[in-house]
Amino acid sequence: MKPDWAEENLQTIRTLMERSAVYRRALAPIMLFAGTLGVLAAAGGLYFQVESPKAFAGFWLGTAGVVIVGAFVMARRQAHKERELFWSPPTRRVGQALLPPLLSGMFISGLLAVTVANWAVDVPMALVWILFYGCALHSAGFFMTRSVRWFGWVFIIGAIALAIALLKANPSAWTATASLTMGFFFGVLHLAYGAYLYLTERKNP
Amino acid sequence: MNPEPFLQLDRLIHEKGRLAIMSMLAASPELTFTELRDALGMTDGNLTTHIKALQQEGYLSVAKSYQNNRPLTTCSLTPLGRKAFAEYINLLEQIVRQHKPE
Repeated sequence: MKPDWAEENLQTIRTLMERSAVYRRALAPIMLFAGTLGVLAAAGGLYFQVESPKAFAGFWLGTAGVVIVGAFVMARRQAHKERELFWSPPTRRVGQALLPPLLSGMFISGLLAVTVANWAVDVPMALVWILFYGCALHSAGFFMTRSVRWFGWVFIIGAIALAIALLKANPSAWTATASLTMGFFFGVLHLAYGAYLYLTERKNP
Repeated sequence: MNPEPFLQLDRLIHEKGRLAIMSMLAASPELTFTELRDALGMTDGNLTTHIKALQQEGYLSVAKSYQNNRPLTTCSLTPLGRKAFAEYINLLEQIVRQHKPE
């Protein structure tokens, strides 16, 4: 019996578990990509004063669309590079977990954008996106690395805390808050999480 | 070398096919019979035998349902199975540490 059989067994287990799990390695670049676009979009929103509810919703949904397409391409490229199946059972489950909260968030924010003509609705719309995005991350986290669930909680708790804080503030101060809020949650937090993933991945053998 | 960790290894999990099934299920809440079969390249009969053995030990639970009017068999690890798998990994790591030069 070879003395390194136990190590080989562990390697086999690791490979099988990775095959059964989601592409964690693609997650860090995706988060950094999403974060960079989030920061740029927030800066653009502030500079061009994207404030009317429809413009705000369209602008950020457009940004989300670019992020989704970019994430799809990155994950697919990695799967191809690793000679793995892209649309694997775990990936399918993550997609199924993400879809209901993301669609619900889009529907509610769309409803707000169409029915309320006041710019003050931008902040509630941002809060809806943050809250539902947090729920989506939390759901997907059951099929991904555990930290995704914690990341989801940051969005959920952050949205609730911000909602409470804003209820006490004067709505006239909300205009710039919407873009700043989006920039912080969808930009800065994604960049921070992407950096965290890179750092923790390096520690793995 | 201390033979103790090796002697404590769970013989049921130690078998190559069953270890592969446990590993796949440890990283996923549940997998269907087809997913396991395709991922591990096992025959239906071979996979069924291993699943039954793990089920009898209480390591694995099997749920039968229907999807699009077709029977669907789903497997998942039980808490006992997760514990046994974690203990197996711990013992393997102990064995690896024993072999590593100081």
